[in-house]
Amino acid sequence: MLKHIIMLVLMVGLMTAVGWAQEEGTATDSVVQQTLAAPPTNVQAFDTPNDNGHSITIEWDISADDGQGLNNVVKYLILRSATPDGQFAEIGAATPGATTFKNSGVKDDEDPNYFPRETDFYYTVSAVTADGGAESEVVGPVRGEGQFFDTRNGPVLVGCLLFTIFTIFFIRKAKSGAKLYIRPLAGIDAVDEAIGRATEMGKPILYILGLGSAADIATIASFTILGRVAKKVAEYQTSLIVPCYDPIVMTVAQETVKTGYYDAGRPDAYNEDDVFFLTNQQFAYVGGVNGIMVRQKPATNFYLGKFYAESLIMAETGSSAGAIQISGTDEVTQIPFFVVACDYTLIGEELYAASAYLGGDPTLLGTLKGQDWAKAGVIISIILGIIAAVTGQTWFTELFHVGN
Amino acid sequence: MRKAPIIITAVVAALFVLSWLLKSNGAVVDENSMSAISQGFWITLSAFLTLAVMSFLYQDNPFYKFAEHLYVGVSAAYWMCMGFWTTLVGNLVPRLSEGLSNWFEVPYVGFKPHFIIPLVFGFLLLMRLSPKGGWISRWSLAFIVGTTAGLNLPRFLSSDFISQISATFMPLLVNWQGIGSFFSDFSLSASGQFIGILSNLVVFLGVFCGIIYFFFSKEHKGAFGVASRFGIWILMITFGASFGYTVMGRISLLVGRLTFIMGDWLGLIS
Amino acid sequence: MKREIPLLIVFVAGCFMAIQFFVPHASSEYVYEFVMDWTIIIGVFAMALGIWSFVKVSLNKINRRQENWQYSIVAMAGLFGMIVFGSSIMKLFGATQVGLESYMFKHFFDYVIIPLHATTFSLLAFYIASAAFRAFKAHSLMATVLLVSALIIMLRFNPFLGPVGEYVGDGAAWILNYPNMAAKRAIGIGIGLGMVATALKVILGIERGYMGSD
Repeated sequence: MLKHIIMLVLMVGLMTAVGWAQEEGTATDSVVQQTLAAPPTNVQAFDTPNDNGHSITIEWDISADDGQGLNNVVKYLILRSATPDGQFAEIGAATPGATTFKNSGVKDDEDPNYFPRETDFYYTVSAVTADGGAESEVVGPVRGEGQFFDTRNGPVLVGCLLFTIFTIFFIRKAKSGAKLYIRPLAGIDAVDEAIGRATEMGKPILYILGLGSAADIATIASFTILGRVAKKVAEYQTSLIVPCYDPIVMTVAQETVKTGYYDAGRPDAYNEDDVFFLTNQQFAYVGGVNGIMVRQKPATNFYLGKFYAESLIMAETGSSAGAIQISGTDEVTQIPFFVVACDYTLIGEELYAASAYLGGDPTLLGTLKGQDWAKAGVIISIILGIIAAVTGQTWFTELFHVGN
Repeated sequence: MRKAPIIITAVVAALFVLSWLLKSNGAVVDENSMSAISQGFWITLSAFLTLAVMSFLYQDNPFYKFAEHLYVGVSAAYWMCMGFWTTLVGNLVPRLSEGLSNWFEVPYVGFKPHFIIPLVFGFLLLMRLSPKGGWISRWSLAFIVGTTAGLNLPRFLSSDFISQISATFMPLLVNWQGIGSFFSDFSLSASGQFIGILSNLVVFLGVFCGIIYFFFSKEHKGAFGVASRFGIWILMITFGASFGYTVMGRISLLVGRLTFIMGDWLGLIS
Repeated sequence: MKREIPLLIVFVAGCFMAIQFFVPHASSEYVYEFVMDWTIIIGVFAMALGIWSFVKVSLNKINRRQENWQYSIVAMAGLFGMIVFGSSIMKLFGATQVGLESYMFKHFFDYVIIPLHATTFSLLAFYIASAAFRAFKAHSLMATVLLVSALIIMLRFNPFLGPVGEYVGDGAAWILNYPNMAAKRAIGIGIGLGMVATALKVILGIERGYMGSD
C-alpha cells in the first residue's frame, strides 16, 4: 500500500515537474521571442532628390513586431558604414511606426555636422527592443549628389516664363503705339494739385522714400514718382526736401531729383543738400523727419515706399502740422494707418501702378496691362480650383503645388 | 520774455544734477563708488532723454531738438561702427589680408580671391564723391539692384503668388449632404455648416473682388464697378482689423516706458 | 559705356540669381551665400557715403548759421563721439576694450539709443489714439467700416462686456480668419504680381529709374 502511495506521489511529482519544466521551457522560449523583433524589410537608401547633395534618404517597411505581432519595437536605429562589411555606426533614430529617415548634414567640411557629398555609404536599419536590435540587410552603396533643377519648383518656372512672355508681348504692343487705358488713381491725380498748393503757400515739399533698400520694388516705384515730383517742383520753382534712411537710396534719389531738374530745364536750381542722409535707425529717422515737419512746415508730404511701425508717427505729425499728405506702400500692416492719417493712400499694387502711370513711359504701361491679364488668369484659376475642390479633382491643386 | 527759456533750462539742469546725485546714492568718491556715480549719470540721462522725446507730444521744444539731434548722430555712427566691425573686420578682412587680421585681432581664414569683388564694388560706389567719376558708382548700384531683382522674381512668384492662389482652392460647400440635411441641421454656431459655407464664400468673394479692385486697365463701371466697390469694403474691414490688432501692442510699449520712468528712475514702483 | 555696362551687370546678376532659385546644387548655394555677403559688404561702403552726406549738410547748416544750427553741433558731437568710442583709437588712451566692446560705446547704446528708440516707439500709443479719433471725425462710410471693424477686434478680450463679450470674441475671430484673410490674399496676389513685373522690368533694363540720368 505504502509502495503504491509512494509510486503515486512520485508519479504525480514527476508529472508536475515535467509540466513545470515544460512551462518553464515555454516561458524561456517566449522570453527569447520577446527580446528581438523581426527586422525591418525592404530597406532602400537613395540620394535625396531636389537637394544640394549633402543628404541620403533611407526608407523601410516596418518590422512585423511594430504595432502588431509582439509589438515590442521601441525605436529604429539607422546605422551607416563606408564599407559593406565594416563597422556600422549609429547615425540616427526613428520612432516606432516611422518608415523614413533623412541622413543629412551641412556642406561646410569644417563643421561637425558635415555630410560628405559624392561619397559611398552603406546603410542598415535596426528594429530595437528592450533587449537588443534586429538589423535588416545592408543596402548600398549609395551616394548623395546635388541636383541642378528642383522639380518641386516646376510651377514657378512655368509661371516665370509665362509672365515674361506676357510682359514682353504687352511691351511690344505698347511700343507699337496702341493706346492703353489706365483707370484714374485719386492719389496720383492729387500730386500736381499738392505741388501747386505748396508753391502758393511758399512752403517746401517733403518726400519720404521709406525704409526700403534701393532694390525694394516699392522704393523703385517711389523713385519714378520722385522723378516726376522733382520735375514739377523745378517747374513751379518750389523747394523739395528728401531725407533718406538708406545711403544707397540717397545716392539714387540724388540722381533722380537731378534728372527731374534737368528735364524741367532748371539744372542750376538743383541742390544736392536737399536730398540727404539722416540715419538708418528706424526711430532716429522718425525723430529727424518729425523735426523737419514741425520746423520747416512742408505744405505737402509724400510717403511712398516701404514703411513699418514708423508710418503712423510720421503721418500723424504731418497731419497735425496741416500738410496735405499722399502715401503709398506695399506693406499691408501699415496701409491702415496711412488710410486714416493721410488724404490719399495708394494701396499695395496701386503704388507700382502709380509709378507706371506717372512715368508715362508706354513700356511701363504695357507691363501694367500684362499684370491685369495675369490677374484675370488668377481669377479663372481660382474658380477652376474651387470647382476642382468641390468635385474632388486633386490633380488641379497639385499643379499649383510649390516647395515641399 | 527771453528769460523764460533760460529759467526752464536752468531748472531742468538743476533737476538733472539732483537726480544724478540721488541716483548715485550719495556715494563718496572712491574706487567702488565711481561706478555708482556713473550709473547714476546714465540712468538720469536715459530718463532725461525719455522725457525730452515725450515732450514732443505737447510741442516742439529745445529739449526735444537736443534729444532728436543726438539720437540721429549717435545712431548713424552706431550703425557705421557695427557695419565696420561685424562686416568689414568680421567678414572681409579675415578673407583678404593676414596682416590686417592680426592688426584687428581676428582669426585669418585664408585668402579668398572672390572677396575682392565686393571690395572693388565698394570703392566704385565711393567714386560718387568725385565730381567726374560719379557715373562709375552705378556699376555697384546695378549689381545690388540686379541681384535683388533676380532674387525677388521667382521667390515672390512662388510665395506671394502661386501659393496664395492655391490656398484659395477650397470647397464652397462644407460637409455638404444635400439640401434636406442642410435645413434640418441648420445652426448658426461658429462650427456649423451654414457659417462654414458663408465663411468660405466670403473668402472667395473677398479675393475675387479684391483682385477686381486692383484692375487698372479697365474702367470700374457696371458689374465690374460693383465688384470693385465690394472689394474696397473688404479691404477696409481688413485695415480696421489690422488697426485694432495693433492697438494693444502699442499701449504695452507705452506702459514699458512709463515703468522705466516710475520704477528704474523714480523708484516709485518696484 | 555709362549706361550699357550697368544694364549688362543688372541683366547678368538678375538672371543669375533668378536661375539660382531653381538649382539646389551645393555650388549654387555657395554662390548665393557669397553674393549675399558681397551685397552686405558693399552696403557698408555705402554707409560711408551716407555719413559724408550727413556731415556735409550739418556743416553747411552750422557755417550758414541756419535756424537751429546749434543742434547740428549736438548731432555732429554725437556722431563723431560715437565713432571715436567705437574705433580702435581708444586703445591709445589705455582702454582695454575697444570697438563694439568699449565702455562708452556700449553705454551710449544702452542709455541713449535704447531709451530714445523705446520712447519714440511708445509715442505710437498716443498717435494711434489720435488717428482713431481722426477716422471717427471723418464721417465717411469707409472710415466708419474701418473703425467698427477695429473696435470689434479691440474689444475681443474685454472682460467688461459680459455675455455680449462672447459674441464680440466670435465676431473678431471670424473677421480675422475670413474677410481679413481674403483681403490680405487679394492684396498679396497684386503685390506679388507687381513685384515680379518690376523685377522683370529691372532685369530687362526697362525700369532704370535707379540709375538717374547722365
